[in-house]
Amino acid sequence: MNAVLAVKQYVSKMIEDSGPGMKVLLMDRETTGIVSMVYTQSEILQKEVYLFERLDSANREAMKHLKAICFLRPTKENVEFLIQELRRPKYSIYFIYFSNVISKSDVKSLAEADEQEVVAEVQEFYGDYIAVNPHVFSLNLLGCCQGRSWDPAQLSRTTQGLTALLLSLKKCPMIRYQLSSESAKRLAECVKQVITKEYELFDFRRTEVPPLLLILDRSDDAITPLLNQWTYQAMVHELLGINNNRIDLSRVPGISKDLREVVLSAENDEFYANNMYLNFAEIGSNIKNLMEDFQRRKPKEQQKLESIADMKAFVENYPQFKKMSGTVSKHVTVVGELSRLVGERNLLEVSEVEQELACQNDHSSALQNVRRLLQNPKVTEFDAARLVMLYALHYERHSSNSLPGLMTDLKNRGVSEKYRKLVSAIVEYGGKRVRGSDLFSPKDAVAITKQFLKGLKGVENVYTQHQPLLQETLDQLIKGKLKDSQYPYLGPNTLRDRPQDIIVFIIGGATYEEALTVYNLNRTNPGVRIVLGGTTIHNTKSKKIFW
Amino acid sequence: MASGCPPPFGDPGEMREGFLCPLCLKDLQSFYQLQSHYEEEHSSEDRDVKGQLRSLVQKAKRAKKKLLKREDDRTDSGSQERYESFSYGGVDPYMWEPQEVGAMRSHLSDFKKHRAARIDHYVVEVNKLIIRLEKLTSFDRANTESAKIRAIEKSVVPWVSDQDVPFCPDCGNKFSIRNRRHHCRLCGSIMCKKCMELVSLPLASKLTSASKEALSSHTSPNSSPNSVHGSRRGSISSISSVSSVLDEKDDDRIRCCRHCKDTLLKREQQIDEKEYTPEIVKLYEKLRLCMEKVDQKAPEYIRMAESLNAGETTYNLEHANDLRVEIQKVYEFIDALSKKILSLGLHEDPQPHPKTLQLQRMIRYSATLFVQEKLLGLMSLPTKDQYEELKKRRLHMVALETHGKQEERQKDFVSRSAAAVNGDTTHLKKGTVSKSEGWLPTSSISRESEIADPLLQQIDNITSFIKQAKAAKRIDEVHMLQENLRQLQDEYDQQQTLKAIELSKKQAEEEEMQREELQVLREKEWQREHHKFVSWHSRTCSLDFREVKQHQHEVAKENRNLTAHALDLDITQIKGDPSFETPTVEQLPAKEHLIFTLKPQNVPQCDKDQDQTACLNPFEDEADTPQLEDPANPFAKDTSPAVSFSNTALQSDKKEYNPFENEEDDEQTNGAPGSTSNPFEEDENPFQKSRGSWNSGNPFEEGSSTNPFEVEDGNEISGEEAIEEELLLQQIDNIKAYIFDAKHSGRMDEVEVLTENLKELKRTLAKQKEKSNC
Repeated sequence: MNAVLAVKQYVSKMIEDSGPGMKVLLMDRETTGIVSMVYTQSEILQKEVYLFERLDSANREAMKHLKAICFLRPTKENVEFLIQELRRPKYSIYFIYFSNVISKSDVKSLAEADEQEVVAEVQEFYGDYIAVNPHVFSLNLLGCCQGRSWDPAQLSRTTQGLTALLLSLKKCPMIRYQLSSESAKRLAECVKQVITKEYELFDFRRTEVPPLLLILDRSDDAITPLLNQWTYQAMVHELLGINNNRIDLSRVPGISKDLREVVLSAENDEFYANNMYLNFAEIGSNIKNLMEDFQRRKPKEQQKLESIADMKAFVENYPQFKKMSGTVSKHVTVVGELSRLVGERNLLEVSEVEQELACQNDHSSALQNVRRLLQNPKVTEFDAARLVMLYALHYERHSSNSLPGLMTDLKNRGVSEKYRKLVSAIVEYGGKRVRGSDLFSPKDAVAITKQFLKGLKGVENVYTQHQPLLQETLDQLIKGKLKDSQYPYLGPNTLRDRPQDIIVFIIGGATYEEALTVYNLNRTNPGVRIVLGGTTIHNTKSKKIFW
Repeated sequence: MASGCPPPFGDPGEMREGFLCPLCLKDLQSFYQLQSHYEEEHSSEDRDVKGQLRSLVQKAKRAKKKLLKREDDRTDSGSQERYESFSYGGVDPYMWEPQEVGAMRSHLSDFKKHRAARIDHYVVEVNKLIIRLEKLTSFDRANTESAKIRAIEKSVVPWVSDQDVPFCPDCGNKFSIRNRRHHCRLCGSIMCKKCMELVSLPLASKLTSASKEALSSHTSPNSSPNSVHGSRRGSISSISSVSSVLDEKDDDRIRCCRHCKDTLLKREQQIDEKEYTPEIVKLYEKLRLCMEKVDQKAPEYIRMAESLNAGETTYNLEHANDLRVEIQKVYEFIDALSKKILSLGLHEDPQPHPKTLQLQRMIRYSATLFVQEKLLGLMSLPTKDQYEELKKRRLHMVALETHGKQEERQKDFVSRSAAAVNGDTTHLKKGTVSKSEGWLPTSSISRESEIADPLLQQIDNITSFIKQAKAAKRIDEVHMLQENLRQLQDEYDQQQTLKAIELSKKQAEEEEMQREELQVLREKEWQREHHKFVSWHSRTCSLDFREVKQHQHEVAKENRNLTAHALDLDITQIKGDPSFETPTVEQLPAKEHLIFTLKPQNVPQCDKDQDQTACLNPFEDEADTPQLEDPANPFAKDTSPAVSFSNTALQSDKKEYNPFENEEDDEQTNGAPGSTSNPFEEDENPFQKSRGSWNSGNPFEEGSSTNPFEVEDGNEISGEEAIEEELLLQQIDNIKAYIFDAKHSGRMDEVEVLTENLKELKRTLAKQKEKSNC
C-alpha cells in the first residue's frame, strides 16, 4: 500500500528489463511528472539512463547506440507519435510500456508500423497517477466537474487513474461511495465496470478482509480547502505551490539563480521528510538547529588549517558539508519566504478567524472578527473573500445571517468581481443543500462530549483546531460504524469485518491537511492502511480555478 | 525537541459514549458532574499520563478487555513507536510490508503476431528486389550487347506494356515521343525520365553481398536486435536465402523506379548501421568494464585493508598495496575515459547535435558520481613499520582475548539464552558497520562488550516489564517479576565480586600489558578517525572504547580502598563518562566503577523499588519521546543529595548507570545504519551536555560521542606526525577529488579554499619527507 514505491518499482523494472547499455527514457507530459515524483536524476543516472526525452519533442536526434524505454499514457496522440517514431526509429531498440490499459487495435497499428523490428517489449505497467507521498496520490486534474456532474474526459481519466492505482497496489476492492454525490456514484460505477471488464487483471490473491475503496465528494466538506495550513508541506503548497515535488521560487524577492526552482522530495531530503508534518513554529526551531549545525561545519576561509588534525577533520566533513549546504540554503530560503508571506498577508490573524469560523459556533464574535479583518489593508483580496466564503458556508441558515452586508464590505474594499462571485459559487457547491453530512454542529452525544472536552482542555493551538470531516468519516469506517445509508456499497456484497486496506478518493481534490490526517490515522491504527487520493491536491490557487 | 513531540494535531477526538471521565472511566450522569469530577480528581495529573491513557479510553465499553490485552499491545506499539522515529524518506513505516511489483500485462505476443504478418510482406518485397538485382548484375554488362541485356532484363521481371500507361504515374506528365517511357528493371513499372532513379553497381553488389554475409552469419548468435528474430521464416536476415553465386562488377547502372530505390536505400542504411559502432559506444563499453572491475575489487581491498590495519596477518601487505594501486589506476582510467567521452566531437566543425552533447555530459556526470562515491571510501594501508607495530600489538591483544575468554567461561553459568541472543546481534551489527565503513573493531573489544551487557540488560528489561505490568495493574505479575529481578541482581552482584577477585589476582602481571593496550587502542581510534567518512556509526565504537576502559578500571580496582568511594562522589555526580575521557585521571573513574559494582551487594533488596521509582520511564526499551526527556533530570536530582553519602544516593547512581548502559546497547541493536532516530539522539543530547558538551549537536547524526576521543587523539597526533606520510598522500588525493568536483559544479569559492588546503598539505608533506630523510 505504498503508492510511491509501487510506481518506483515499475520504473525500476522497466530499466532493469532493458539490460545494460546506454538508455534514453521517452515519456509524455504526464508520465514525466509521474516518474519525476519517484526517481531523482542522479538515482536514475546510475542505472545508465542518460537522456530523458518527450516523445512529442521534435528536437530529437537519431542515436542508434541508445536503447529507448518508452513510458507513455495510452492516449490516441501518443500512439500516433509512437507509430511515427517506429516508422523511422531513432534508437536501436524500443521497450514500450503503457501506463494503462491499451486497446488491441492500438497494439495492432503499432505492430504494423514496426517494419524494422525495433520493438522488443510491449507491456502495461499501471503507474498512471502522481504518487505524492507513500499514502497520498493525485491525478493533477483541475475542474473535473461541470456543475454537479462529470466532464466525460475527466471522468475517464479519473477512472483510469484510480484503476491503475488499484492494479499497482494489487487490490481488487469493494466499493463504497457517498450517497449524496451523483459524481461519486458515477465514478464508483465506472471503476466497477473496469474491474468487471478486466477481471483477469484484477484476479489477485484474496486477502481475508477485502480492501475497500471509498469514494467521496469534495462538496461534502468545502471548508477544509479554504483554511490556511500550518504544517510545512501544506504551507509550502498553499503559499508557494508544489507541482510534482517542484517549487517555483522565482517570485521570491532577491532570489539567487540556482534557487529559482527547488525540489522538495521526502524520498531524498531528510530534513523535509522529518519535518513535512510539523507545524510552522517547530520548523522554525528545527531550521535554526540546522543552520547552527551548518555554521559549525562550515570551513572557515580565514582560519588556517594548522595541524593535520584540522585538515583531517576538514576532509572528513567536506562531503557532508557539501550536501548540507544544499539542503540548508534550500530550506532556509523556503522557510524564509513562507514567513515573509505570513507576515505580509497577516496570515496568523486571518487563520485564527478562519479556525473560529470553521470550528466554533459563536456567530456574533465571528461576524465581528470577519468585519475587522475586512478592514485590514494587509489582508489580500482572496483571503478576504475566503473569510466571507467560510462565513457564508457556516452561517448559511443562521437567523441573523448578514452575508449581504459582508458582500457590500467586500465590494467597498475593492475586491474584484471574480472573487466575490466565488462566495455564491461555493455555497452552491458545498452549501447545506448539497452536503450529505453535517459539517458544523455535532448532533450526537459522542460528538458533543468531544467538543465539550476540547473546550475543557483549552485549545492547544488556535491555528490547528480544525479537523477535516475526513477524520471522522475514516474513524467511523475503521471502527466499522460508517452508515450504509450514507455511504452505500456498490453491488450486493457488504463487508462484515472492519476494513484493513482502505483507499479513499476525493472527487474535487484532497488537501495536505487531509493527507496529514490520514498519516496520523495510519500511525495510530496498527493493521489499518489508508491511502488517500484526489483528483488534485488543493491549494488556494487550485481553488480559484475550481469554482 | 520538536520532532519528538506528539504531533500537534494529534487526534483529540476519542470515541466516547456517555459521560465518561477520560482518566478513570467513571461513568458520570451529566456534563456538569463530569466537569466537576474532572476538576476535582484529575486537575493535577500531568499530561503525559493522560496521553498514555488516551489509547486506553478509546473503547470505553471494552476497557476491561483491553486492559487484559495491554501487555501484548504494549510490545506492538512500542516497536511501532521506534519504527516511527526511524521514519525516513517520508515512508510511513508500518504501512508497508515488503511490496511486490504491481500488476502488469504484456502485449508482446500479440504485437509480434501482427508484426510478423506485416514484416513477412515487407521482407518478401525486399527479397524479390534483391534477387532481381542479383540477376541483373550477374553478367558482364560491359561486354554484352544491349539487345541481349534488354532480353535478360525483361526475363527478370515482366515489363508493364507501354499502352497501359499513358501518363507517368509519379509526376502525371503525358508520355510522348520526347517524354519517353522508362521501365523499372526491378519491378517492371513505367515512369518518365525525370522520375527515374538509378542503382549503381557498387550499391547493388553491396546489397547483394551483405545479404550473403547475413546468411553465413545467420546461424551464429548475433548481437543485433534485428537478427534476434531470425528464427522467423522470411525475416530480413534470411533475405539472401535465394541469392545466387554470381556477382560481378560493372560501371553501368540499373534503372529503377523511385519506390524500389527507396526500399533498397532503406536496406542499405540498415546494413550500415549494423556495422557501424560510434566512438562513444566503444569508450562507453570500456568505461563500464572499468566500473565493473572496481565493483569487484574494491570490496576485496577493503577487506584486506581492514584486516591489515587491525594487525592481522591473513593478508600480505605488499599484495594489498598492489591491489590498491591497481584500483586507483582503474579510477584514473574511468576519469580519463569519461573525460574523453565528454569532449568527443567538440572540436569538429559541425558541432554535434545538442542531444549528443547532453548525452556525453550525462555520462561524464554519472562517472564522476561513481568515482566520488567509491574512491572516497577507499581506506589507506599502514606503512611497513606501522604494520610491524600493529602486528606486535595484535599479539598482545590475542593474549588478552584468551584471558577474556576465561572470564567469559566464568560468566557463562549465569548468562541467559536471551541475553546471548542480544549479544550476538550486537556483534553482527558491528560486523556490518565495519565492512561498509572501513572500520574494524578489534575482536577483543567486541568480546568485552558482549560479556558485559547481558545481565544488566536483562535486569533492565525486567524493570521495564514491571513498570508495564504495574501500569496494567496486574499485581501478581509484578510480584513475580520483582522476584525475578531480585534473583538477577543477586547473580549480577555475585558475578561482579567473582570477577573482581579474579581480576585482582591477575592485575599485577597484566597492568603493564593493559597500558600498552590502551596505547594501541588510541592508535586504533585515531586510525579509525582517519578512515571515517561518515560519522554516524561512531557511537558504537565509543561504546566499545568505554567498555574496555571499564575493564581496565576493574583490573585496577584492587588498589582502591573500599571506603574511598565516598570521596569520589563529586565525580560520580558528573556521571562516569567525562572522567573516562580524561586519561590523566584514570584512577577516579576506576573508583567510580567500583561503586557501581559493589553497591548492589550492600542493598540488593532496595534495588527493585528504587528501580521502579527512580527510573520511571526513561530506560524502557521502547521509550517514547516525552519520556526521553527525563534521563537528564533524574541525574541531577538523584546525584545532588549524594553529598550525604547515604546508601540511597549511591544506589540511585548505580541505577542510573545500568539503565544508561543498557540503553546505549539498545541503540546499538536498533540503530540500523542510516536510519537515524531522532528520539534517541535527543535522548543522547542531555547526556552529552552533562558530560561536558562536546556535543556536535547535529540532529541528523548520532556520532557525537566520539568527539571526546578526537580531542584526545589530536594531542597525540601532533606528537607523532612523523609517520603520517601515507595519510597525507591520501588526504591530498581526497582534496584533489573535491577540487575536481567543485570545479565541475562551478563553485569557485570552494575551489579556492580547497586549493589553499592542498598547498598546505603538500608543504607539510615536503617537510615530512625532509624529516624522514634526515
